[in-house]
Amino acid sequence: MKLPYSLVTRRTFLNTLLGGGFAAFFLGVFTTLGRFAFPTLGKEPDFVILKAEDYLNIPPNSTKPFAWGGKLGLFFHKNDNVFLALKGVCTHMECNITYKPELKKFYCPCHKGWFDADGKNIQGPPPKPLEIFDFTVEGDKLIVARKGVKVELPKA
Amino acid sequence: MWYFTGGLVLFFFLLQVVSGMLLSFYYVPHVEQAHKSIIEIVTKLNMGWFFRSFHNWGAQLSILTLLVHLFSVLLLKAYRKPRELLWYSGFLLLILFFFFGLSGYLLLWNERSFAAVRVATGGLGAIPLVGNFLKAFLRGGVDVTQDTLVRFYAFHVVVLPIITLLLTAFHLLLVQFHGPSIPLSLEGKKLPQVPFFPYVFLKDVALWLVALGILVTLSTLFPPEIGKKADMLAAPPENIKPEWYFLFVFQTLKLFPGEIMGLNGEVIAVLLVSLAVLFLFLVPYLDKKSADGKRSPFFTAISVLYLGYFLVMTMVGFFS
Repeated sequence: MKLPYSLVTRRTFLNTLLGGGFAAFFLGVFTTLGRFAFPTLGKEPDFVILKAEDYLNIPPNSTKPFAWGGKLGLFFHKNDNVFLALKGVCTHMECNITYKPELKKFYCPCHKGWFDADGKNIQGPPPKPLEIFDFTVEGDKLIVARKGVKVELPKA
Repeated sequence: MWYFTGGLVLFFFLLQVVSGMLLSFYYVPHVEQAHKSIIEIVTKLNMGWFFRSFHNWGAQLSILTLLVHLFSVLLLKAYRKPRELLWYSGFLLLILFFFFGLSGYLLLWNERSFAAVRVATGGLGAIPLVGNFLKAFLRGGVDVTQDTLVRFYAFHVVVLPIITLLLTAFHLLLVQFHGPSIPLSLEGKKLPQVPFFPYVFLKDVALWLVALGILVTLSTLFPPEIGKKADMLAAPPENIKPEWYFLFVFQTLKLFPGEIMGLNGEVIAVLLVSLAVLFLFLVPYLDKKSADGKRSPFFTAISVLYLGYFLVMTMVGFFS
């Protein structure tokens, strides 16, 4: 069927074309600016390799820090050769924690949060336990890995 | 008296622009150099110690004056119709000044500022839906690193000053357009009309001179500490606290346990603080009585509650 009149007037057509063009232009500009300003996120490592002798010989009831990517990792000699590797970052607001040997607890000075020697949140605002890592010793290497991550080192 | 606080904020802001420009000639925004460059500004440059102290005290006094301005406007209901936009733009300026404070603070790259920015950006991460996006955007990555330092430097010296200047121009234009607000109790009464220039302006300048005197005195007698360089793998010092204007949030976060009825206490705390700020922002819209020119004791009580909470929590944080 042929219509005797046009469905879109010339003015509507031009306004839509111009308006749509402007909208597309600004959307493109702001998307590009936004994508540039937003960082390409790195991520925390799945594992780190440390020198075993530096960490396995620390005295009982003490910790030694290591770099877990850019964050603090703590290797903890709990007692009698029971070791624990954990992320030294409070689960409340991400402040670094410290170990209090006299109390046998981990402490976050920012908002006074406490964790027991197993990393469990016991007092103050922290909502979750500390993140515990797996660790294995291969020769002179101490491999600290995120839980569930299987590390296969290339054979020398 | 309350009429002059806005002008005083503007004066402090201009002083901050000038002293900030001077400091930016020498500051190096790099994690290995930042702390050292500030020590060099303070110890090796002519009057370097003074300008650094001046910029620091200028920031403290700007925020103090801005808070006095905010609460005076709130208590005098100067936000009421037709000055809603003045309140909204002023409120955004306050948030910008807080962000100025936080971003400038990180530039020191000492252990306190490092922990403060980690907590502040980490806290934003607890906001549902947009939190992680905001956190990553501000940090420039997953953690507070070199990327964060250079990003905060860009915010502090380029992004925030430009937005602040534009918003301040808009705010001043609205002041010109509406004129000063008259308290509800005096509305309808005949008040003496005084031209702004030279009468009010002279009073403004006199107050600015006194403020400059106070600022110079504080800068000379109490130069701020530089502290120990930030160590990303070290625990923050015992009894660490943020700047005084963030103490009320700091204390509030301490009040909430890790879990409240099975829900994450941190998320609840951040949400409640955000809602309280949003409520304050929307006061001109919510306070219908003041908008109609009637007395509004309910909102006076709320304003007193806000002021009291801010003062008490700041004091508790300061002395604990």
